Amino acid sequence: MKYVAQAYTGLLYVIAALAAATLIWLMISVILSVLMRNLGLQPFAWLFTSAQYGILYMTMLGAPWLVREKGHVHIELVTAALPRTIRQVVSRLVAMACVIVCLILAWKGVELLLTNIERRDFDVRPYYYPRWLLTFVFPLSFGLMAIEFARFVFERELMHSGEAGIHE
Amino acid sequence: MEWYEALFLLLGTIVFLMAIGMPVSIAFLAANIIGAWIFMGGERGIGQLLNNGLGSLTKYALVPIPLFLLMGEIFFHTGLGGRMFNAIDRLLGRLPGRLSYVTVLGGTAFSTLSGSSMGSTALLGSLMVPEMNSRGYKKYMSIGPILGTGGLAIIIPPSALAVLLATLAQIDVAGLLIAGVIPGLILAALYIAMIWLQTKIDPTAAPAYDVEPMSFGTKIKLLMTEVVPMVGVMVVIVVLMINGIVTPSEAAAFGAFGVLILAAVYGRLTWDALRKSVTGALRVTLMAYLIVFGSATFSQLLAFSGASRGLIGWATSFDLAPLAMLLAMFAVLLLLGMFMEQISIMLLTVPIFFPLAQTLGFDPIWFGLIMLLALEISFTTPPFGLLLFVMKGVAPPDTTMREIYISAMPFILCSLFLVGLLIAFPGIALWLPSLN
Amino acid sequence: EDTVTAVHAFPETLIYTKSFLSFVDKVNEAGKGVVQIEVRGGPEAIGMFQQPDAVRDGIVDMVYTPGSFYGGALPEKDAMVTSNLTAVETRANGGTALMDQIHQEKMGLKYLGWFDSGVCYNLWTRDAPEFDADGNLNVDGLKLRGNAVYNAFFSNYLNAQVIDLPTGEVYSALQRGVVDATGWTQIGLIDLKWNEFLNYRIEPCFFSTDLGVIVNNDKWNSLSPEAQKILQNVAIQHEKDSVEALRAKRDEDFAALEAAGMQVVDLEGDARVNYLAAARETTWERMKTLMSESPQGDGNYDTLISLYYDPAADR
Ligand code: NA
Ligand code: NA
Repeated sequence: MKYVAQAYTGLLYVIAALAAATLIWLMISVILSVLMRNLGLQPFAWLFTSAQYGILYMTMLGAPWLVREKGHVHIELVTAALPRTIRQVVSRLVAMACVIVCLILAWKGVELLLTNIERRDFDVRPYYYPRWLLTFVFPLSFGLMAIEFARFVFERELMHSGEAGIHE
Repeated sequence: MEWYEALFLLLGTIVFLMAIGMPVSIAFLAANIIGAWIFMGGERGIGQLLNNGLGSLTKYALVPIPLFLLMGEIFFHTGLGGRMFNAIDRLLGRLPGRLSYVTVLGGTAFSTLSGSSMGSTALLGSLMVPEMNSRGYKKYMSIGPILGTGGLAIIIPPSALAVLLATLAQIDVAGLLIAGVIPGLILAALYIAMIWLQTKIDPTAAPAYDVEPMSFGTKIKLLMTEVVPMVGVMVVIVVLMINGIVTPSEAAAFGAFGVLILAAVYGRLTWDALRKSVTGALRVTLMAYLIVFGSATFSQLLAFSGASRGLIGWATSFDLAPLAMLLAMFAVLLLLGMFMEQISIMLLTVPIFFPLAQTLGFDPIWFGLIMLLALEISFTTPPFGLLLFVMKGVAPPDTTMREIYISAMPFILCSLFLVGLLIAFPGIALWLPSLN
Repeated sequence: EDTVTAVHAFPETLIYTKSFLSFVDKVNEAGKGVVQIEVRGGPEAIGMFQQPDAVRDGIVDMVYTPGSFYGGALPEKDAMVTSNLTAVETRANGGTALMDQIHQEKMGLKYLGWFDSGVCYNLWTRDAPEFDADGNLNVDGLKLRGNAVYNAFFSNYLNAQVIDLPTGEVYSALQRGVVDATGWTQIGLIDLKWNEFLNYRIEPCFFSTDLGVIVNNDKWNSLSPEAQKILQNVAIQHEKDSVEALRAKRDEDFAALEAAGMQVVDLEGDARVNYLAAARETTWERMKTLMSESPQGDGNYDTLISLYYDPAADR
């Protein structure tokens, strides 16, 4: 069990690191293509396409890590106004709702992925790029996000501080 | 289902979920699941939702924002930004609220190069808010001006959004771009007046600390070593853009790269600073883009279900005087703007609003500019303006949404005042284009 | 009364969308009490590239889109892209019927009609085009904007690396000199205002538009025979009407462009023949390769080519 937890945390951070690397790649790809163009060469079309796909990869691969970091912005209005005990209940219920949303999207993501593989779907840009190479990030990302939100349902720490916005 | 029922259901769901504290992005996704279920034929609609999200998140227009963020974060974490603002602080002497003015001037200059409100807010927010906070400025003195100038990006040319609007509405592209120059400058001036007013009302909002007097030689040295190189990076980017060497979307990459080089030259580029910069830029990008994922698909649901089209049709169905009609269209744009993404709003409203504007006898360029202003204002309008969330991401962790809302208000008033001016004196917009 | 929901790939103000909307009006007029098309919007309702999947999955019943937007699933659409005929001829010779059959087999879609055909693409440049000793177009140093339709031709034959920009960004890219050449259909340059920067049109034109109406098969089969008949007949009529309307529009656009100083540069002799042949053959090659990779194989390849391409029409 301990190893499963470690492997899970490892996966979460590895894909977040991939998201960070993608951000750097955005910079590099733009600079390379501008340099090529201005040297009178024609920039590789994949530099451009990789940046477009990079946005999706970056967002989805990094999103679970951001749940752990409590980086997804929320508005503390009701939760801040509530007494402590009730706030705890509401906070856990909201986290539970987030789990459900992510699970639904993860499940539909699996279906979409399987459909893309079965239909041999392509994303049509300068290249024909297999669609499943894009859609596999949905079940992965929403699945891990569901787990991360579940921690705010069952573990000690709450998603809502109640403090920052206590007088709102 | 009638359009108003669909509208009420979709907007009601999102307002409720956000109010009980669900993360904004997840609230959008939850409303999307419900909406897709109802309007896109049940379970299979949710798969379509993911497909739509994929389409919204693989756009080149989204590339500059993380890079502008990275640029701002590197400025901040390597201490280059701090040095520059220290120097500006000392050079400007005792003027109260001087860094707020710097924000407006810098923001206006930056808007001339960036066509992206989000990119502009991201850069200035990550650069200025922490600096000004550490110097004892009240938060609204930094957050407000940045939200204000972020919106300038789409009025002052170059502006990708203005070009798109002109193309969709089949009006003169160059005319609309040029029409934005004077109103943009007036708006910047209004912002400066607003800051002056704010420092008069509450002198403690901006610290009035003393600065030791300096000789002219020291001033020049300070200017050359601490300010010119940093501003130089921006100037180089502007020059590259003007010469067509880079596009506005590409400029951000060179900005980030330029600051990296500068930090290396100054010997401030540590692994720690680099790691913090990338992490910081990533955090805000992820937060904002998951919201984009949710809100772009939410926009599509509003359109697909007929809710937004119904609203537009209803609001324009009354036989009103031209001015009242204009206000009705303005109100629709503001309302849609709270929930929808700007390009979708244009696609929806242009085919209806422009012919209508023509029958009402409005000048199309003038009307186009009013429309851009409405879109810009709605971007910072509480509770859901996207720039507000970007700001929440880059501001110090103890900043509340309420503080951000309050900071935005005075600057929204400035924009509304400008709209009033444009209605009273259309020449403000139309004089420059008429010279051609 | 049957109701068919529909979306279109391009913004409402684009000429091709207007053509589709006039088809919708004709159906709704002829179909009173029998069948009505309810347009839900354009790319603001469902993303451009997501529309083919949406109609396949029954989210929406009908989509008006270029076949190239679902070319991954149906490479046979390249027969339309490389066609030198119009929908009127391919309707008569059975080409459209075969296209419909392939749509049904591969995607579960009814192919109702090929609209706005007979319009081809030109290469438009800012500066006077350069030619090599044999009169072939020289693309070195051209900053060429690409698009899914003609990328194979540009990159495989012309050996160009394309800069893939969305239509909305091309204007400012031209203004700043990021690109200085683009492919575009014969019509529409003025609406996009790109003629402010582009000064040369290179002839001959190549390819054909491949815009068509696709309908979810289950929905199609659920319609009353009367409704089916109205939809099909109006579509066949619109195939014909749209060819004529767009030809008139093309002549009008060309005249306006030339009056404003657009110059026409012709490729000649072998260079012209090779240029056209390359556009066709690189695309056919892509089509055959992708077809042979699919479970249904490339059995229809030769038939499709013979129905959509008439060598005699090229002279
Ligand atoms: Na504003
Ligand atoms: Na701008």
